[in-house]
Amino acid sequence: MIGGWERWEILEKIGAYAASELSPEEMREVEQLILEDAQALRLAESYLRMLAMLGAIGEERPEVSEAVIDHVIRRAMISAFFRQAEILIAGVGRVYLNAFVYYLGLRATSSAG
Amino acid sequence: MPAVTLVEKHESVKLRAKTDLRQATRSGSTAEDNAPRMTFKDYNLTRKVARGDIEAFSQLVREHSGLVYRVAARILGDSDAQDATQEVWIRVWRNVKSFRGESAFSTWLYKITVNTCLSAYRRKQSREARETGEDLAHLPVPPSIEDDPVAATVAGERREELLRALERVRPEHRAALVLRHMEGLSYVEVAQVLEVPEGTAKGWVNRGRAALLVALSAERGSA
Repeated sequence: MIGGWERWEILEKIGAYAASELSPEEMREVEQLILEDAQALRLAESYLRMLAMLGAIGEERPEVSEAVIDHVIRRAMISAFFRQAEILIAGVGRVYLNAFVYYLGLRATSSAG
Repeated sequence: MPAVTLVEKHESVKLRAKTDLRQATRSGSTAEDNAPRMTFKDYNLTRKVARGDIEAFSQLVREHSGLVYRVAARILGDSDAQDATQEVWIRVWRNVKSFRGESAFSTWLYKITVNTCLSAYRRKQSREARETGEDLAHLPVPPSIEDDPVAATVAGERREELLRALERVRPEHRAALVLRHMEGLSYVEVAQVLEVPEGTAKGWVNRGRAALLVALSAERGSA
């Protein structure tokens, strides 16, 4: 325990400090800790380097392979085809059913009349 | 160490912090101001896709695949990122009707990507019972300068170390970390994407940062 803080809490606080995410009051507390404790200072430095690396990797723009894009679009085309086919078959089926019902004279008459 | 030297060193750390963070982490209070908005183009494309327009879907995929692949690669690693990217776009195709344009398309896409990656990770984990960040909660000692993971290695090795270490952070914390520090999202956006309260998102990023630093120390120790 350093300065009344648990070890994990210190790690998180210094991380938030390095990322400039603390309130002014918390910032002062951590700065005080960094001034008093050399290990805390080293942690802050490690965090800064780690965050810089994360940011640098974040700037990279990896290329997506054309095969992946083609595959996705092909899947969507197949899905769209089946969707249309389903609508068409359902429509045709409904028309035939209505015709059959009409042919057999099975359509219910309105009870209101 | 004399107090004056400490203060000087501290000041240099602060100065570097400002420079490094401006260049690299893209975090801070301005993130909220830069929250992405729904563009007219994206809105039009998503409406067309909802009606089954393949051409519009193709355009959407080509414009946003980079985002999906990037996030998938950082959460799952390069080897699983391609499969996850395909799965994300299939989900977009199936669910785009439910997207009403209340948030930016990119925010919605981040959400689907992160959910898909976390599901894929869990499926993989159940097969492999792999090591996660669970053990990191019991940190014996904070890493010291001797264990400093970023002090002595060359840039390429450091990058690989960092990505390997990232794989050891608990998936939810990793996703929060990726969104915050690699994608530069505000906490409001991170919370939206992860579908958790903002305080939880902050907690996950905090815990993720600490866990990553510890995992980096372990990486360095095992190298």
